Amino acid sequence: MTTLTRQDLNFGQVVADILCEFLEVAIHLILYVREVYPSGIFQKRKKYNVPVQMSCHPELNQYIQDTLHCVKPLIEKNDAEKVVVVIMDKEHHPVERFVFEMSQPPLLSISSDTLLSHVEQLLRAFILKISVCDAVLNNNPPGCSFTVLVHTRDAATRNMEKIQVIKDFPWIVADEQEVHMQEPRLIPLKTMTSDIVKMQLYVEERAQKT
Amino acid sequence: GRAELDPSSASDKKVVLLPCKNPPSRQRVQLWLEARKQYESLQRGRRRE
Repeated sequence: MTTLTRQDLNFGQVVADILCEFLEVAIHLILYVREVYPSGIFQKRKKYNVPVQMSCHPELNQYIQDTLHCVKPLIEKNDAEKVVVVIMDKEHHPVERFVFEMSQPPLLSISSDTLLSHVEQLLRAFILKISVCDAVLNNNPPGCSFTVLVHTRDAATRNMEKIQVIKDFPWIVADEQEVHMQEPRLIPLKTMTSDIVKMQLYVEERAQKT
Repeated sequence: GRAELDPSSASDKKVVLLPCKNPPSRQRVQLWLEARKQYESLQRGRRRE
């Protein structure tokens, strides 16, 4: 059994790997459940020991991977406060925002066994909640698209510099209309507290979608 | 205008970032799906011959 500490060089990487793998599955599932893309591009897979829907569209998959590759250095350094999947209408106004609020608690040491089994169990619960979230959300208007926002600090953006260039995937500061929604309905989906990460997921839904 | 990321003026101010590029549109994905279906149907036809 391996014991990891916060001081270990690769500890942040382990957390970032776990969270980015989870976010990839979560983004695919949100796009499927909220019908942003045709259901025909999704295939059933098993992740966290539960069935999920993952896209098989190469360009979309690459886009999601590139996005998360750029976010990963921020998560690694505990600099990503929120990762938000925004679903927008034809006019590019947000109709729904899936907000993943995350932080890494102070930690002295942890066993790798605890890390894998307990966290996987907690992440599975998030996936299950996303799978059924359409029951508590109103239908979206046709022709929606999506984007991913990351809430961070100005000083942390230098951690993204290299990867943006390598991937040819530049990031910009979001406009006010992409960040805020007028009087959203707040729907809490799931909260987790583990030794390595605290995370909560909630949806902000626009009152009038059409 | 949108602000480009400028690490030289980095501070502890909170910022919200998004990718400059857009994901593929639903229409583009729909076209790809139809083309794939046609290709798969052709392949099935060839196997039967």
